[in-house]
Amino acid sequence: MDRIGIVLVGAGFIADAHSGAIDADPRATLIGIVDADPGRAAAFARKQGGIRHAPDLDTALQWPGVDAVILCTPNDTHAPIGLAVAAAGKHLLVEKPLATTVADARRLARAFDAADTVLVAAHTHRFYDYGRAVKQTIESGSIGRPRLVRLAILGGWIWPDWSAWVGDPDRSGGHALHNGVHLLDLATWWLGQEPTEIFARGRKQTAAELRIYDYLEMVVTYADGATAVCEMSRAHRPGSLAQRELLVAGSEGIVEQGWDGESSLVFGEAGTATLPAAGGNGFAAQLGAWLDAIGGAPPLMPVADAVRAVVLGVAVEESIVTGKPVAVTA
Amino acid sequence: MTITVALVGNGGIGTQDHQNSMYRPAFERHPGFQVVGSVDEAEVLSIALPLAERGKAVADAIRAGKHVLADKPLAATLAEALEIERLAAEHRVVVVPAHHQRFGAALRSATAAVRAGRVGLPWNVQCDFVVAGGDPAPTGELVNFGLYPVDVVRALLGLEVRRVHATGSPDLVTLLLDHDHGVTSTIVCGRVPALRDLPPGGLAVHRYRISGSHGVLAVDARKPALQVRTTNTNGPVWTGPGTVDALLDVVAAGVASGRAAIGPHDAVQAQRVIEAAQRSIEAGQPVETGE
Repeated sequence: MDRIGIVLVGAGFIADAHSGAIDADPRATLIGIVDADPGRAAAFARKQGGIRHAPDLDTALQWPGVDAVILCTPNDTHAPIGLAVAAAGKHLLVEKPLATTVADARRLARAFDAADTVLVAAHTHRFYDYGRAVKQTIESGSIGRPRLVRLAILGGWIWPDWSAWVGDPDRSGGHALHNGVHLLDLATWWLGQEPTEIFARGRKQTAAELRIYDYLEMVVTYADGATAVCEMSRAHRPGSLAQRELLVAGSEGIVEQGWDGESSLVFGEAGTATLPAAGGNGFAAQLGAWLDAIGGAPPLMPVADAVRAVVLGVAVEESIVTGKPVAVTA
Repeated sequence: MTITVALVGNGGIGTQDHQNSMYRPAFERHPGFQVVGSVDEAEVLSIALPLAERGKAVADAIRAGKHVLADKPLAATLAEALEIERLAAEHRVVVVPAHHQRFGAALRSATAAVRAGRVGLPWNVQCDFVVAGGDPAPTGELVNFGLYPVDVVRALLGLEVRRVHATGSPDLVTLLLDHDHGVTSTIVCGRVPALRDLPPGGLAVHRYRISGSHGVLAVDARKPALQVRTTNTNGPVWTGPGTVDALLDVVAAGVASGRAAIGPHDAVQAQRVIEAAQRSIEAGQPVETGE
């Protein structure tokens, strides 16, 4: 079987994780890289052993052997670039969020459905070891019906200076769309229920002048009465001590992973830091699932779930502004 | 010189008998107290009557000039708690509501550290207070032990709650609290089924994360404890004095000095939050505490 030829669009830091996943999967090959910055595209191409590179997508879509695109550009470009990929009849793995508006997310879903190509949004936490282990535990029935999810992913400021596009809500959609969707999707996937309401609070902790909320607290209510409390932070200090905590309470038991449940702890002269366990490669698992779907398997991250994540993220931003719960229907 | 105490009532919410399961043994082992059989002989009344009778009994004790240790909640309603606060001030007696969780060893240290600025200016507290097994409270667990974590968060921050949004079910509720200075806190509070190696009604999860401008304090309030594993058992063994023992220290110090480290005002403020949470659940909206 021919390998699936992939073009990466966007040579930012997340592109390395995707190219590493392609390298690890014998079913895929990286054809080339697209970046609006020709120098950055060329540098990435050289690092990959001299693959093709171009400053525009149209050129890349004409390269021979291109079957699919992985899109790692700023969030506000996902919709226009994604629609072009759909129009070219290629498959797409798009970094989360699927889009920055619900209308764009639905437009993308319709376009790929019409093209009969596979669209997957990179909600990578579904493919991380912990995400899958919690899902398997819930599905095993050992904790009964899940009623509560507590999920916190906390860290410090990781973005560049004021020029960072993530800090511009017009480009990123806000932090709820940029990172919050990871937790909103994961908790919803774990619970296997439809969300009905969002109540959220946000803070501009690192600087009062921020235009996005670097700390998010997102509370989701589900149709069966379950609750998910999701915290996403790039506001915590010290930034060297990343923490992830989870608790799922069910009718028959609980699942917990504390901040030290996966990582070791380094007590060094430079301070204290967590040392995450090596574990599996979530990006490789995600790529594998996308390739499986291209081959005809049911997608592990359905388009409808990606649209729903955008609906939830938009509702989070609205709830923070209004201070009130927001009803949601995916 | 010991303080005389009489035990009044052995009821509570549902099947609770905290008098015999908690207060009596703590008074009996505390060197500062002597349990007496007659209310008239006692300087302190330990009141653990059913909730519907409790507020009136506490008020009567205050009017009789007795100091009081009252099972939690101090009273069934905010109005009743406010009246007790007024009476206690008028009669100059010590009234200690049994908010004993704030006196856990880890939480006392945490409170001192936060108040001393060890994490800078705190801006958020997250709390899980999850009990496993035991008899479910017929009132729902919000009323039963929601005030414990609310009281601890108030103690940690020293900031009153101005707005409450509550969601979830009566047995597992999430409280989103807004305090002064834009500080927020979130409390998950409730009961899950019995879990292996935990005594019925034991705390499966009891933790706080205090995030501040200059650091984070993560508190597992089930500590300090040893982890003891044997052929047949696997569980924590609390070390040092228990939270009820520490509460009696507060009562003793309060009787001696005329001023206790916790009083009816703390019960009033906790009750405001619980009642606001009930209103929020009914309305499906955040509500002001109305202070």
